[in-house]
Amino acid sequence: MDVAVKIWRYDPATGERALRDYEVDAPEWVTLLDVLDLIKDRVDGTLSFRKSCRMMICGSCGMRMDGAAVLACKTRMAEIVEAGHVPVISAMGNLPVVKDLVVDMDPFWQKMRAMQPWLQPGYLEAPEGKEFHVSQAQTNVINKEALCINCGCCVSECNSMESDPEFLGPAALAKGMRFVGDARDQATVERLERYNDEHGIWDCTRCYFCQERCPKGVDPRDAIAKLGAESIRHGIDRDMGAKHAKWFVTSAKTTGWLRETELVPKTQGIARSIKEIPFAMRLLKHGKVPPPFPPHVAKDVQESRALYELVKQQGRDGAAGIVQGEKALSRIEFIEELAQREEEAE
Amino acid sequence: MTRVAYYKGCLASLSAKELDTSTQALAPQLGLELEELEAVTCCGAGDIHEAEPDYYLHLNARILAYGEETGADTLMTICNVCTLNLRQANWQLRNDEALRERVNANLEAVGAPSYGGTVEVKHLLWLIAEGEGLELLRQAAHKGLKGLRIAPFYGCQILRPSKLLGFEDPDRPSSLERIIEACGGEAVDYPSKLKCCGFPIIQAREEVALGELIQPIEQALEAGAHAIVTPCPLCHLSLDAWQSKLEKSTGRSLGMPILHLAQLIGVAAGLDESELKFKRHIVPVAPLVEQLSV
Repeated sequence: MDVAVKIWRYDPATGERALRDYEVDAPEWVTLLDVLDLIKDRVDGTLSFRKSCRMMICGSCGMRMDGAAVLACKTRMAEIVEAGHVPVISAMGNLPVVKDLVVDMDPFWQKMRAMQPWLQPGYLEAPEGKEFHVSQAQTNVINKEALCINCGCCVSECNSMESDPEFLGPAALAKGMRFVGDARDQATVERLERYNDEHGIWDCTRCYFCQERCPKGVDPRDAIAKLGAESIRHGIDRDMGAKHAKWFVTSAKTTGWLRETELVPKTQGIARSIKEIPFAMRLLKHGKVPPPFPPHVAKDVQESRALYELVKQQGRDGAAGIVQGEKALSRIEFIEELAQREEEAE
Repeated sequence: MTRVAYYKGCLASLSAKELDTSTQALAPQLGLELEELEAVTCCGAGDIHEAEPDYYLHLNARILAYGEETGADTLMTICNVCTLNLRQANWQLRNDEALRERVNANLEAVGAPSYGGTVEVKHLLWLIAEGEGLELLRQAAHKGLKGLRIAPFYGCQILRPSKLLGFEDPDRPSSLERIIEACGGEAVDYPSKLKCCGFPIIQAREEVALGELIQPIEQALEAGAHAIVTPCPLCHLSLDAWQSKLEKSTGRSLGMPILHLAQLIGVAAGLDESELKFKRHIVPVAPLVEQLSV
């Protein structure tokens, strides 16, 4: 088949940036990475991109197709060609471009290093010559985070990082959760303290781009939610983000609905919210500041209060309470696959 | 008429009352009979999921259970964040029997109905954007939106994560465009229509949030849009109310009116100001509506 792509080229020597058209003849089974190899081989040897394993495990070939981060080796071309579509290939976002499709991963690795991604305090001898036991339930808390291959696809798309380049970001924070949730690690509280800094957990804007793009199913946004839940479980709630989150809990268990007007002082503190008074007055004029009294109370709210007490007694606090349903997901996928196979067999 | 359980969420009963009134006024014209859920609470907005995740799951299970109790197949939401929170809990509960049993035992212990897993959570946008919904919309939108260029702003949590939402291609959605066009308006394309408005962190990290918020507003202006429409009241609040802060920080007058989805359709369907309540907006919408009636 004839495969056509457009590639954003960048030449650091001249600073020139240009969108170029390429077309190569390729077998049906090719991936985007194969196509780039063919172009480099047959059309233009100066095209630069990273690659290594070709099988979705090394994390080298992250790039953008039509503006969305993908692993080139995971992206099959047949369907795209069939649809008559000519995709635009470019370097990942949120990282400086070195040349063509190659980005400088240094900021990525700096943030990764800041997470101290190793077990602390290190190797421990089990008492009395026995083994340490890590239960399946303990492993389940981090089995998604452990899948990360450091490709940077999530970082490429992170909306918070576009606005705050210092944000630790989805890959590093997912790595952080991988150690916070590791039953063998002894530095949970110290880690959470650090991850709660200005550019940490509470910088996440919940755009879910990381979750959408991750080629390995790490679900970094869920990892960040787990870190938030773990922080609050350990009483680390100094950040305005944590206070904001806790106010929703207070609202749900008192009136049922969000106590919206009190959210600002509860998040920002009184001193800071005083500065917001002119802004609030403007909102008030348009009915955008609902009066806190009498409170807007949900019918049968005693049920949600009692639920809170009950749930707290059952003690599934922190990351353990976040259900990601991998088992359910694999079951769904398996059933769909089975149905498809049966259909094909018929 | 399709009977749906109507979960309006916090904002539509508080700062975004105009969303509730326009939705209620519009629903019969779109063939929707709304049964409003009363004994329900906040979905947690992603915040309870992050602070007390097990409580989040129970609160949402309770909402789903009360939705199921109405006998309707569909629980209709009008907020992206409610949609994701409820769909996520629904997916978890439906696909994990042991989990559902535990949650149901807790629901019963506090006197709430248990959840059988039969409800489908759908946003108003989805109910209108296809099949009969779009047909009814065309009939309802008799006044049209002639000459209006509308920029669709989807908001994150109606598209991503697609494994939980899955109504349309998260990178090439078209439901809002279809609705704008069915109402007789022109849909304007611009680069950041699928990006984040910054609302979840607008109080804790205002600067970071404003850095996100400015993109759709500036780009929609550049693309010549008369207004932005969004299916999410949180996006609405940041785009509308925080726009004044952007004007202050950039020293630029923006004046981009922001419409809730139900209001946009409401204008085309000739709803009254008493239902649309444009006076509740921070950025004036009146000039836009006047232009339409000329």
